[in-house]
Amino acid sequence: MLSSIKSHIPGWEVFFQALLTLAVPIVIYRIYAALNTLAKDKSGSAEGVSQTTYSGTEELPDHPFSRDYDNNMNRVREAIGANSDVIIRELAVGDSEVRAALVFVKGMQEDQLLKIQIMQMLLEAPFGQSISNLIDRIPTNSAHTTSSMDEFTQSILFGYMALIIDGHSEGLLINPPCGPSRDITEPLSESLLRGSRVGFTEELNMNTAMIRKQGLTGNLQIRSYRVGDTIQKELAIVYLNDIVNPDLLKEVHARIESIKIDFAAESGSIEQLIEDNYLSPFQQAQNTERPDRVIAALLEGKIAILLDGTPFALIVPVTFSMLLQSPEDYFERWLPGTLLRMLRFLAAFIAVMAPSLYISFISFHPGLIPTELALTIIETRQGVPFPALIEVMILEISIEILREAGIRLPKPIGPAMGIVGGLVIGEAAVQAGIVSPFLVIVVAVTAISSFSIPVYSAGITLRMLRFVAMLFAAILGMYGTILFFLLVCCHLSKLKSFGVPYLTPITPYRLSDWKDFFVRMPIFLMNRRPKLMKTKQNKRR
Amino acid sequence: MSVSRSFVEPNDKITSSQAAIVLNNTMLGAGILTLPRSVSESVKTPDSWISVLVGGIIVMLVVVIMLKLSLRFPGKTVFQYTQTIIGRYPGMVWCLMLILYYVVIAGFEIRAMAEVTLFYLLEGTPIWAITIPFIWLGAYLVLGGINSIARVFQIVFPISLFILIVSYLLSLRLFQIDNLRPVLGDGIYPVIQGLKSTVLVYSGCEVVMTLVAQLEHPKQALKAMLTGISIPVGLYFITIIMVIGGLSVDSAVTSTWPTIDLVRSFEITGFLFERFEFPLLVIWLMQMFCNYCSFFYNSSLGLSQVFNLSYKGVIFALVPVIFIVTMIPKNINEVFELGDSIGYSSILLFLLFPVTLSLIALMRFKGGIQYEKP
Amino acid sequence: MRSLKLVFMLLMVMVVITQSGCWSSNEIEDLAIYAGMALDEGEISTTEREFEEKGGAYSKQNKITATVQIVPLKAGSKGEVMGKTSPYTNITGAGDSILEIFRQFSLRMNKPIIGHHLKIIVISSQLLQHRSIKQITDFMLRDNDIRPSVKIFLSSEKAMQTLTTKTPDEVPSFYINDIVQNQFRTSKIMDPVLMTDLDALMHSKQSFILQNIIRAKKQIEFSGAGIIKGDSGKWIGTLTQEDVECINWLTNAGSSGVIKTKNEQDETMSYEIKEMKTRVRVNRGGDDRLVFQVRIEGKGRISEDWSVEDNPASDAYQTKAEKLFREKLTSMMEHLLSAMQSRYKVDVAMFGEAVRIQKPHIWKEVKANWDDTFSKSRINLNIDLQITEFGSTTK
Repeated sequence: MLSSIKSHIPGWEVFFQALLTLAVPIVIYRIYAALNTLAKDKSGSAEGVSQTTYSGTEELPDHPFSRDYDNNMNRVREAIGANSDVIIRELAVGDSEVRAALVFVKGMQEDQLLKIQIMQMLLEAPFGQSISNLIDRIPTNSAHTTSSMDEFTQSILFGYMALIIDGHSEGLLINPPCGPSRDITEPLSESLLRGSRVGFTEELNMNTAMIRKQGLTGNLQIRSYRVGDTIQKELAIVYLNDIVNPDLLKEVHARIESIKIDFAAESGSIEQLIEDNYLSPFQQAQNTERPDRVIAALLEGKIAILLDGTPFALIVPVTFSMLLQSPEDYFERWLPGTLLRMLRFLAAFIAVMAPSLYISFISFHPGLIPTELALTIIETRQGVPFPALIEVMILEISIEILREAGIRLPKPIGPAMGIVGGLVIGEAAVQAGIVSPFLVIVVAVTAISSFSIPVYSAGITLRMLRFVAMLFAAILGMYGTILFFLLVCCHLSKLKSFGVPYLTPITPYRLSDWKDFFVRMPIFLMNRRPKLMKTKQNKRR
Repeated sequence: MSVSRSFVEPNDKITSSQAAIVLNNTMLGAGILTLPRSVSESVKTPDSWISVLVGGIIVMLVVVIMLKLSLRFPGKTVFQYTQTIIGRYPGMVWCLMLILYYVVIAGFEIRAMAEVTLFYLLEGTPIWAITIPFIWLGAYLVLGGINSIARVFQIVFPISLFILIVSYLLSLRLFQIDNLRPVLGDGIYPVIQGLKSTVLVYSGCEVVMTLVAQLEHPKQALKAMLTGISIPVGLYFITIIMVIGGLSVDSAVTSTWPTIDLVRSFEITGFLFERFEFPLLVIWLMQMFCNYCSFFYNSSLGLSQVFNLSYKGVIFALVPVIFIVTMIPKNINEVFELGDSIGYSSILLFLLFPVTLSLIALMRFKGGIQYEKP
Repeated sequence: MRSLKLVFMLLMVMVVITQSGCWSSNEIEDLAIYAGMALDEGEISTTEREFEEKGGAYSKQNKITATVQIVPLKAGSKGEVMGKTSPYTNITGAGDSILEIFRQFSLRMNKPIIGHHLKIIVISSQLLQHRSIKQITDFMLRDNDIRPSVKIFLSSEKAMQTLTTKTPDEVPSFYINDIVQNQFRTSKIMDPVLMTDLDALMHSKQSFILQNIIRAKKQIEFSGAGIIKGDSGKWIGTLTQEDVECINWLTNAGSSGVIKTKNEQDETMSYEIKEMKTRVRVNRGGDDRLVFQVRIEGKGRISEDWSVEDNPASDAYQTKAEKLFREKLTSMMEHLLSAMQSRYKVDVAMFGEAVRIQKPHIWKEVKANWDDTFSKSRINLNIDLQITEFGSTTK
């Protein structure tokens, strides 16, 4: 008995390996934890800072308006007069010729007629009226007053037309900027065959207007925030008041409040600052250029975040299945919609797995492929000097470079480049015997599959994961590929986006949510909002 | 990033469908490949499918007993209520036995997985290179708690089910009903002989005693657990029917992994993959992963609850232990012997836990559970 | 703490570098796939003899000769080579163990051979006369590369010669493998015996038959079957093509084929079977022998009739024809039964299965020496052939 136990005690290598087995995950865990605390520290301090800025804004009466016109004018000149594009037009208002000044930035107030009307009105206004009365009579839609000199000057530089009147301790901001803006165009990154052709523009007001214009409702609410420390920008969250879960709203609100950034150039930077896990390769907010997509998401109880200056709106929370859905699924009839959606799931699988399956079959498991195919592959791979991994890497990386180059190139050249790159290089590589023709097919199918992902940034994620999968496959073959798949599953099962598990509705099984998952059921059957969003109103109708 | 977590509480509760899948995935493991041989060895007639069914019914009864016991202590796992029932130190010893049992099963599953992988997929790779990443991956998943585990199980199981059914449907071309006849030709005795080895494949159902505590709606526990147990019973039943019907008892007895041999016995030219052992091995490996994770989770949960240790620390500490357990069997025969002894100890544990504990609990807390209500 | 981390990192890097992955990696084009295997009596080939004369010998007694067919030879670049050289190479070696012979091939070839794609194994009946099939196939059953779906054949001549055919583009192994699919045309091709079946048959010590392949002038033909005696595992004789056909009909394995007979005018008549169903019932007779009642029901059409006078549409003609075919089939069956019961004294037509299923308790007694019991038992044939149609002509 004892000797049999003794004989079963493994050798020292096993204990050494056991030690390693223990050490590596601990080290990885430590590093992971360290990286995470790094992020927490940052956000923690950000909250502190943002509070001080708040108190700062309340102390603004440091620089109040005085009743003295000259004093005010001097201070305005001091603050912004050095800018060559600031125009100060002094005039005498009304019959009693009170001194006043219009201040604005060149190029940001285009409407000549309006200016003429304002000037005319000012010149004819009877003196003695208080400023608020004056505001009532000003023929613009968004005139308001401010008593803070700092806000006043900043607003002027942002493009407001401002008015200072002698004897009034408040400044008038008459007309919001109507600077250069772009026309509404078709969304470039999410074009559809069927569906509205409207895409967001860079103008926040226009974007919110587009969402409003989707239809008549009293519940669509838009809340506005200012983000950015050095340069402030307007940010709006949009939601349907009677549907959205109040806890989610609170959460989004809290995260946006805690944003600490110099300048929010694009909604991408907002996304990165409010996401749950910055180490994950998966995006935790969906970006879209399409108002119809936003409104559909709102109807499911989600929240959209719009930033001024970018046509990309963010939708939170996001789940994995959303990344493979396209608005067209709903516009087409349900059978084609379902088929297309399944096709996309298949495409996503191919886009990630195909090269690694190729590697594992070619270099590890020749016994698992059909005989005829094996013979064909052997024939085509004769004379290929590289092992499968290197071969795949060469072609995959060059395809990625091609794709990257294709985006940079001007439109007329881009497609030509694709043809030159794809066809010529592929064909030449086969001719030269660097890669096998079979691989060219595999890589091409992979690339095409990854194009069919409707959300561009999800496509990037999958492309990235593909290379990881290839490494796994190169070390452990099919087994490695399975490990990779399980790893991704494990990661996804832990990931959350704004408290919603990323994998819903794949798991837990909720049949009612599956009506809009792999299949797109007929619309009359989809009469409930997704349970995962825990919406206030469950029924759609 | 943000501190407030009010929207969806990360509560570690699982729905009843999740619980059913967890239970199912805990039991559906190595048995898929070995069950036909081990049962046929002891039955020796084509009646092994009866043994599997009868064994399944027995295990269902066992599960019901465990369930009733656990429901007396809502929200508490076996590791917590054992100490309440029989006192702190005896409870510790009992729980330690259960934990040891889980750890050994986890090691056994990994070893069986590694043996199959080495034999069919990666000949020549050192065994540690196969087992260690597997253990790590499991640790990563287990760190996420029961909720993540249940999610992964729910992804893996439909895939497994689909591929398993497809493989079996395709193997119908080898199926001959004569291989399954005569029914009860030698009387009932061989069936009883086979019960011994069929009960072994159901070892692992002890996780019911922790699972019930994590249910969102304990009221549905019975339904969930019975669903969870009947899926593996059904799948094992189909497996044995297909393998014996396709290969005959004589062939099933002689092959090491009869189910793989079954799908290797045909080639479907012109079909996407001609050889169906590839998908079968894929899903089997994933199934083994689930299996192992479940036991890993239960043992680490047990250790942390019994000794009041941090859950994460226990997981890291168990990683090398499981690895060493994996490496203890010296050859494949010892692996199978280990499997058998796990089966026997599961019977012992059954006597020890649900039966004795229920009796003691009945005696000590007569009339129900007014004593421990949350 | 930091230094500890560093140590671990170093260890990791060391492990990765020294043991770096891809242990099992082996590019597919660097492997030699063999699709067919032939096993013969130990006999040194001329090449080997020359090797040995030059010192290439190792200790062996030449118990067995193994030939493997490697595909493709060297496909080189595309179509140019194709057609000029044959698409396969056969390599032969003699030795004592198949595994050793295979490893010995590694001394002669630039690529390792792998058996994942092995399709057929042909064993010469001479080899099986003094070696048990269990000994010969043991390696194939244990090996993890070779699939259990491999089909096993016998050859009454040299097995390695069946792996050479005259058609230049065809790989003989695939060729043989594909012939099996013609089973729906003729029942003279039996259900292929797979490695799995072989395993079961050997374990249960039943006697069984394996399809026989013969060869003439670089062409091959499936012809009859060789009988392997269960308890010894050795080859004891051959059944004719018609016997194999009858076995297929008896065991419900095939329901195709042709029965050809002659009418009174000595003219040919052919009956094409469309459906064939056999039922075997077993009973213990009065004299303690087993009695099998075999009922064969067939349906088919007259496909060929050389006689000029008959009117096929008449009932009389139909009855007459049915009788003729029934007699023919009965005589065929009797030929088979006499071969099984008196000549070879084995059961290769699954009569044992019927006993096992219908009378399990009798089976228990007789299982041990079933072949003897079978050859002493009585078999009553009851044949019913129906003619359901006459083809597209009534004349």
